[in-house]
Amino acid sequence: MSVFTKRVVLVDGIRVEVLEAGSGEPLVYFHGAGTTSGFQELLPLSQSRRLIVPIHPGFGASDDDAGINSMLDYVVHYNALFDQLDLSNPIDLVGHSLGGWMASLFTVLNGRRVRRLALACPAGLRVAEHPTADMFTIRAEQVPSYIVSSPDALARIPSTNLTVDVKVGRYRELTSLARIMWDRNYDSKLTRWLKRIGVPTLILWGTNDRIIPSEQAKVWASLIPASEVGTFEGAGHLLFFEAPKAVGRLGSFLAK
Amino acid sequence: MSTLQPLQFYFMHFMPYPDVASGRPQGQWVDIPNRRFDPKIGHKLYKEYIDELVLADKLGYDGLVVNEHHATFYSMMPSCSVIAGALAMLTERAKICVFGTPIALTYPHRLAEEYAMLDVMSGGRLECAFPLGTGMEYWVNPINPSFSRERFREGMDILMQAWTQPGPSRYDGEFYQYKYLNPFPLPYQKPHPKIYIVGSGTEETVNYAAEKGYGYSQVFTPIAAQLKSFENYRATATNNGHKPDSESIIISAMAFVAETEEKAIEEGKDHILFYFKNLLTTDSHLNSPPGYLPVDRLRKRLESGAIQESEVTWESLTSVYRTVLGTPDQVAERIAFWCEQAQSSKIILHLHVGDMPHWKAVKNVTLFAEEVIPRVRKLTSSALQVAAE
Repeated sequence: MSVFTKRVVLVDGIRVEVLEAGSGEPLVYFHGAGTTSGFQELLPLSQSRRLIVPIHPGFGASDDDAGINSMLDYVVHYNALFDQLDLSNPIDLVGHSLGGWMASLFTVLNGRRVRRLALACPAGLRVAEHPTADMFTIRAEQVPSYIVSSPDALARIPSTNLTVDVKVGRYRELTSLARIMWDRNYDSKLTRWLKRIGVPTLILWGTNDRIIPSEQAKVWASLIPASEVGTFEGAGHLLFFEAPKAVGRLGSFLAK
Repeated sequence: MSTLQPLQFYFMHFMPYPDVASGRPQGQWVDIPNRRFDPKIGHKLYKEYIDELVLADKLGYDGLVVNEHHATFYSMMPSCSVIAGALAMLTERAKICVFGTPIALTYPHRLAEEYAMLDVMSGGRLECAFPLGTGMEYWVNPINPSFSRERFREGMDILMQAWTQPGPSRYDGEFYQYKYLNPFPLPYQKPHPKIYIVGSGTEETVNYAAEKGYGYSQVFTPIAAQLKSFENYRATATNNGHKPDSESIIISAMAFVAETEEKAIEEGKDHILFYFKNLLTTDSHLNSPPGYLPVDRLRKRLESGAIQESEVTWESLTSVYRTVLGTPDQVAERIAFWCEQAQSSKIILHLHVGDMPHWKAVKNVTLFAEEVIPRVRKLTSSALQVAAE
């Protein structure tokens, strides 16, 4: 199987890392709020596509950007990055969790840049009966059991040993997250805006998601006109990490 | 060496609720079971604590200090202005020191109004110190910790504009836009009450206080680190055209006085240990919410292990920190030494600590006033003469 190549792209003076694998029509993946478990599980998608995983400013190997403090700032950042990567034709966009929120807002504002959209357990909606867990109140030692469901997946999660480096890295990513969603881990306006998404959209969810309950899937589906839902029995919040079938479903949706 | 001005003795109260919840390694903050609070006990404690502060005014202390914390057994003062309002009316002479409400956690104009009220009510006896607020406060107030420092500074600018520019004035900031900034009443003291910044020794905070010409007060941290901060403060303040004196720096100490050293230890030690083990303890999850600390500072804290307050030992308390228990002579000697060492003429005394009962606090506050303060004054004035010769 192919591997990711890494390169650094300069966007508005900020160095961001971009992972790429495979060749073909571009497929961009917006990651969630943590980068430590890596993105190896996405590599099957690169067999027929150019898979691009940009690391958000303030996360992983990308620089911090002191000017970013809202979801809209990230969307504007990705407009610039897409220009930089010459992604001028409509591309397929996938977002997971925080990245799902980002991808949905990106599509609301840039409908012409997106061909197909897939959202894996996206954050951002306020669903009173099935609220999203507050990432900030979950203690570091409890995080693994919140983000995956099966004991097998739990055993595969790297860096459960909380060394100083791991703690500091996590604190930095949580700081970036706090800058955009400490006040509220949703945007009530999304319910109004999502109907502007005009592209075919796939919504994926694990039934054992402890961060964002899978009951939210039908709310997303009711708001995005051309959408379909795929659920995966027993999978937790790190959906692609835990359920290879979800990667397969995503691949066939994007092959259409 | 600069000249030490006449010493000022400030009595500070934390007003704890000592019936702490057991089995909580993370401490008594943020997610404590608040149903444990018994308002009848709370009422009794408020009366005792306020009595102790009023007694200190009668005994001649120069200042009475109250501060503010939220959702914690550490303190029953989620609003220090409420207690200060009572003290303004119940006392005659001492400065009333709100040390204080974290300005980022409230509307800056509202704090300017409340503090102005206190200054007018007390006839110009208010002193203010401004803390960022501990990390714990940001879990229980709806304010983003990752902008706490920016919000703090903007809040200070607004408060100073409110107090020093004729109103109404306008303010256009990152966090607030005031159409008519126009507090009424204005402070009794002109241009405004004395202002300190409370810090834990971060260079950034020390520099901020020094650049603005505010005083600086450091929370309970090792003496060596404090002395370094004070040195930086004085150099930066001087470079910025200010004239720091011995009143610009406030130091603090825990003291318990008794007839003999053995008795002082017997009566005081357990309450001080109770404070450190049961009230001050937190963990890094609660004291460092995301964004509250710059990332490199968290790394330093984790690497130095400075976060383990629960592991404070009695030996370190009495050598690395300013804690003294003993006879009036012993306590006076240490206090005089610490003031000289820090070149500070303003010292905050923690004379009620932890689960100390009322009678002991009264004894300690009284003995300190009648037996220790005169001795310290004598020691420091003779040291001054020696220095002058």
